Amino acid sequence: MSAPAPAPAAAPPALEVRGVSVRFAGLLALDDVSFTVAPGTVHAVIGPNGAGKSTCFNVLSGLYRPTAGTVRLGAARLTRLAPHRIATLGVARTFQNIVTTGGTVADNLMLGRHALSRAGFTATALRLPSAVREQRAHLARAREIAELTGLGNHFDTPVTLLPYGDRKRVELARALCLEPRVLLLDEPVAGMNAAERARTAEVVRDVRARLGLSVVLVEHDMGLVMRLADEVTVLDFGRVVAHGTPDEVRRDPEVLRAYLGTGTGTATATTAVTKEDAT
Amino acid sequence: MSDLRSLVRRRGSLLLSALLLCALPFYLDAFWLRIGLFSMAAAIGAVGLGLLSGTAGQLSLGHAFFLATGAYGYVWLAGEPGPGLPPAVAAVLAVLLAGAAGGLFSPVAGRVKGIYLGVATLALVFLGHHVLLTADSVTGGFNGRSVPPLEAGGFAFADSGPRLTVLGVPFGAEERLWYLGLALFALTCFTARGLLRGRPGRALAALRDSETAASVMGVHVARYRSAAFVVSSMYAGLAGVLLALSFRRVVPDYFSLALSVDYLAMIVIGGLGSVAGASAGAVFVTALPLLMTRYADQLPLVATPGSGDGAIGPTEASRYLYGAAIVVILLRAPDGLSGLAGRARARLRRRPPVTGPPGAASDSESSEESGASGASGASDDSDDSDPSARAKEHTP
Repeated sequence: MSAPAPAPAAAPPALEVRGVSVRFAGLLALDDVSFTVAPGTVHAVIGPNGAGKSTCFNVLSGLYRPTAGTVRLGAARLTRLAPHRIATLGVARTFQNIVTTGGTVADNLMLGRHALSRAGFTATALRLPSAVREQRAHLARAREIAELTGLGNHFDTPVTLLPYGDRKRVELARALCLEPRVLLLDEPVAGMNAAERARTAEVVRDVRARLGLSVVLVEHDMGLVMRLADEVTVLDFGRVVAHGTPDEVRRDPEVLRAYLGTGTGTATATTAVTKEDAT
Repeated sequence: MSDLRSLVRRRGSLLLSALLLCALPFYLDAFWLRIGLFSMAAAIGAVGLGLLSGTAGQLSLGHAFFLATGAYGYVWLAGEPGPGLPPAVAAVLAVLLAGAAGGLFSPVAGRVKGIYLGVATLALVFLGHHVLLTADSVTGGFNGRSVPPLEAGGFAFADSGPRLTVLGVPFGAEERLWYLGLALFALTCFTARGLLRGRPGRALAALRDSETAASVMGVHVARYRSAAFVVSSMYAGLAGVLLALSFRRVVPDYFSLALSVDYLAMIVIGGLGSVAGASAGAVFVTALPLLMTRYADQLPLVATPGSGDGAIGPTEASRYLYGAAIVVILLRAPDGLSGLAGRARARLRRRPPVTGPPGAASDSESSEESGASGASGASDDSDDSDPSARAKEHTP
């Protein structure tokens, strides 16, 4: 079985965000944002609604061009590249609102293998042995990833028939199918129930440990952030207001102000975080 | 032996229909064969348009232009005036020419999306029609040109040449072209299905469902859009060649905007994104006016051609009919004939098996239709009642 090699064993390069600003017709969505995702860590980006988290992701995956600043992955500069070029460098993402394509889970996961496969129009139309072989090998790997993310039983099910939590996980699995070095997760557990959240958290921790990739996580679920993240960057109105380990951030007065509008002292901080936990 | 048996079980319906289609020339007269030929040619073009509009989600009203490129390309390349190439070479070159014409349009086809491309391609039809009318030396102007018969290795797909009789049935142009059409149609189905189930097909479907998702998964959006356009143009070119051979004369007025709309009707009636559906739609749209003309005297409310007594002529009547068919299908079965067939099969399968083993034969088709029906489902997540109806279809 000549299954395509899984992610390279070497540690992924660091993802550096330097002074990124994004302006939409007068609105400064991101203002001089900088942070570094250390290789192999889980880096959470949190903040209230409208803080610029998703904009930040759209810059990282190439959907937006920043007005200023650069994003680098190792030696490669991502800010001038088209999304599909960034994907081939090993940056995969999921979306806040589920963006799956039609067809079965397998079809979606195989889309994730697109950048790693070669078969073109001619080879596929004529079903040349090379194209057939390639497809078979990638299908085997996609199935492995489906098993890894708990979708093994749904591999041939149309995505539209799956429950919400599973569909969300299809996106995660599809991103993993890219064998990414950096995985961008935009609210991976939003709208999920407790069991589904725990399951997804488990999957994220598992794939990170097993595949050694860096994870950038945007999430409102503070419990998940505190459990998974090694580092946290807090955005508010497009600016970085705090940065540090989950514990440091939890106590940061700026964070409390951003989340609650007022707030002084640690007591409120704990309440705030617990509140987020509960939602 | 068990291999053969499983092949028969899996491909049984395919083998059966292939055999049936091959046997037809022995039983049908030229009129029916001609209907079949036009249908096959239309099916080839419709499969191409289905790839572009159904799978990649790009509307094209310029299909007639590429059909004309294929048809006139063949006539010019093989004919006099023209280079007078061997007809088989001319046919291949005509298909490539149509592809090249699609490629020339790719700066637009790659950048413009969905319905806007439809408007952009509208220009092609008018431009093409104008060129066909005015470039007399190449196209023959308003009266068109007669089509040189296809010859390959001394065998002519026409009434000329040595007489051919198979099993007591004289093989004239229609019979010979029938097998050529079948072969080309089979080639079309084979390649189009390969494309749809392979990497390019998935990339195109992803582009249709979400350009953003496709691009962050590594799909080069502009390149795949224009590639879909080129491939669809090549199928149209092939259909054009076969149409030219069947008509034996090409005239500019045939390749009008109405023809493009006919092709859109075919893929909508058949069901977007499915090869079998596009073919069924092509047969419906092509055969209906011909049949109504033939049987006009026996149909109520339809005038015989040329009688001019104020009633509806057969061509108009068939247009009303397939207009009505489109409305009914859009309202009642948005996934077209292929979706209807899929549901009917699923219903049969749920009952205790009466004839033959269920499941195996139609598994491959239903996976394809899931692509088409999934597309309509993906656009509105709130619509839960509809997918649940399909759930049964996909559980073997």
